[in-house]
Amino acid sequence: MAPSRFPGQERFTGVGLGLRRPHLEAVAARENHGVPFWETCPENVIGDGGRPHRDACAILDRDPVLTHGLAISVGGFDPWDGDYLRDLGRFLVRTGTPWHSEHLCFTSVDGSCLHELLPIPFTREAVRHTVARARDLQARLPVPLLLENITYYAELGAAEMDEAAFITEVLEGADVGWLLDVNNVYVNALNFGFDPKAWLARMPLERVAQLHIAGHKRFGTLTVDTHGADVIDPVIELMQWTLARLGRPVPVLLERDNHIPDLEDLLAERSRLQAAYEDILAVPVRGGGHG
Amino acid sequence: MAEARTLVLQRALASLVLDPEGETFEDDPTAFALSRGLPDADAQSFRQFSEGLAAYRELARLSLLDPIETMFPITKTLLVREDAWEACVDAFLQARCVASRHYRDIAPAFLGWLAETGWGQATRPYLLELAHVELLEVLVARFPGAEPPPGLHPDPGLQDRLVLDPATQVVSYRHAVHRTSEAAPVPEARPTHLLAYRDGEGRPQLMDLTPAAAALLVRAQTESLGEAAAALGLADLAATTGLLKDLRERGAIAGFQAAS
Repeated sequence: MAPSRFPGQERFTGVGLGLRRPHLEAVAARENHGVPFWETCPENVIGDGGRPHRDACAILDRDPVLTHGLAISVGGFDPWDGDYLRDLGRFLVRTGTPWHSEHLCFTSVDGSCLHELLPIPFTREAVRHTVARARDLQARLPVPLLLENITYYAELGAAEMDEAAFITEVLEGADVGWLLDVNNVYVNALNFGFDPKAWLARMPLERVAQLHIAGHKRFGTLTVDTHGADVIDPVIELMQWTLARLGRPVPVLLERDNHIPDLEDLLAERSRLQAAYEDILAVPVRGGGHG
Repeated sequence: MAEARTLVLQRALASLVLDPEGETFEDDPTAFALSRGLPDADAQSFRQFSEGLAAYRELARLSLLDPIETMFPITKTLLVREDAWEACVDAFLQARCVASRHYRDIAPAFLGWLAETGWGQATRPYLLELAHVELLEVLVARFPGAEPPPGLHPDPGLQDRLVLDPATQVVSYRHAVHRTSEAAPVPEARPTHLLAYRDGEGRPQLMDLTPAAAALLVRAQTESLGEAAAALGLADLAATTGLLKDLRERGAIAGFQAAS
C-alpha cells in the first residue's frame, strides 16, 4: 500500500494532542499553541451544544484535525445508525480530516452500548464478520477508514489465531489503514508476555497511517491502558523504533483522558514527545513493511 | 445466523459486565460460560482468562457509572445513606438502557430509567425530581443551538406570545429539590417552580418562579400575553411585561411575536 492512499496525509506530521473538554476554552482563545494537529472524537461533538461545543467547533474550523471514533462497534452485530453515519460523514468533511479511525473491537450488544472497548474473538468466523462490517462501514464514509489495535485483557473464547494474525487478517481483508497504538502493543506485551518489537515486525506496517501513544498503570497483575499518566520511556522508545521501521513521518497522537493535567503541562509533555519524534526521524531510516 | 458463535461470545461478555451474576463470575467461570450457551472450548477459555474477563466487568461498569456518579451526587449520597445505591445502579445496568454511543447520554439514560421504572419512588416520592434537578442545568447548558424563528421583537405587547430560548425549560416539582445538598439530600415537600436557562455567556442559571409566573411562561407560548394574564388573574400587566422583558434580557426568552 502506498502512502498516497491517504490524500492530505502530508499535512499531518509531528505529535498532536487529543482535544479534551477541560482545555477547550483555553485552546479556542489561543492560536499559537504549537500543536500541529488535534484529534477529536466525533461522538463528543456531534449533537452537542452550548459554550464548550462552540469552542470545540471554533478549534475544529481553525486548526488541522484528525477524527477518532469511540463507539461505532465495528466488530459488533448491531445495525449501523443511519442518522449518525450521515452526521458523521458531514462532520468528517467539515473537519477536512484525511481519514477517520475506529477501534478494532465491539462496544454494543443487542442495542446496549457498554462504552468500553471489548475484544473480538480471535477466530476465523469473527475475522469474516469484522471484515464484512469494516468494508461496509468504509463504503459509507467519505474518507478512508483506519482501525486501531486495542488493549485487551482476555481472549474472548477459544482462539484460533493470535492477536497479530487476527489484526492482520482484518486489515488486509477489509483493505483499510491501521492506526497503530504503540502503548496498546506495549501493554498487551506486558499482560501476555511477548516481545513488542517481534510482534510489530510481523505486522503489515505499510498500512500504518497514524500512531497513538499514551500512559498506562499497573493494577495487581494486570496493566491497564488508562490514558491517565505520562508516557514512560520504554513506550517512547517503542514509538521511535516503530517510526524508524516505518521510515515515514506519520503523525503521532498523545492521548490523555484521565487525570487530565493543565494545558501547559500537557503541552510540555507533547514537546517532550515531539523532541523524541524529531530525534529519530533525523536518523537515516531503514524502511517499513513486513518483517 | 452464520456468525452465531461470535455473537454468543459477545452476549456472554455483556452479561458478565451488566448482570448480577457477573459479580460471582470468578467463582466458577466455566459454569458461567456454559450457562450463557457457550461450548466447552469457549467455557475453558473463560476459565483460563477469568481474571482479565473480570477486569472488563470492573472497567465497563466504571465507565458507565462515572457520569452517573458525577451528575447525580446528591441522589447518590441519599441512596448511599440508605444502603440502596448499589442496588439502584445494579438494576439500571441490568436493564440495559444505555443505547446511545454518546457518552453524554448515559446520565439522561439513568434519569429516563428512573422515570420509566419508578425505581425506589414508592418510599422516596421525591427521588425522580431530585435526579431531574441535578441534571437540569447540564441539559440546559448543553442543549444544541438552534436559530430562533424570524421576526421576533424585543419588547412584549399584550397581543404577543412569547418564544422561549430553545435551551430554556420551565419545570415544576412537588418538592424543593433545588434546595438539597449532599449534607441535606432529603427535600422539603413544597411545590416548586423553576426557570432554567442559559445566560448571555452560555452558562446555565436557575431562577425560582412564583406559580403564576410559571403558568404565564407556559400559557403565553400558545396564546397572547393579554389572554394568558387574564386567564391567570394577573391584574398588574406592567409588572408582567416587566418580568418578561427582564427574562428576555437574561437570555431565557428569545423574543416576542404576534399571536395568531
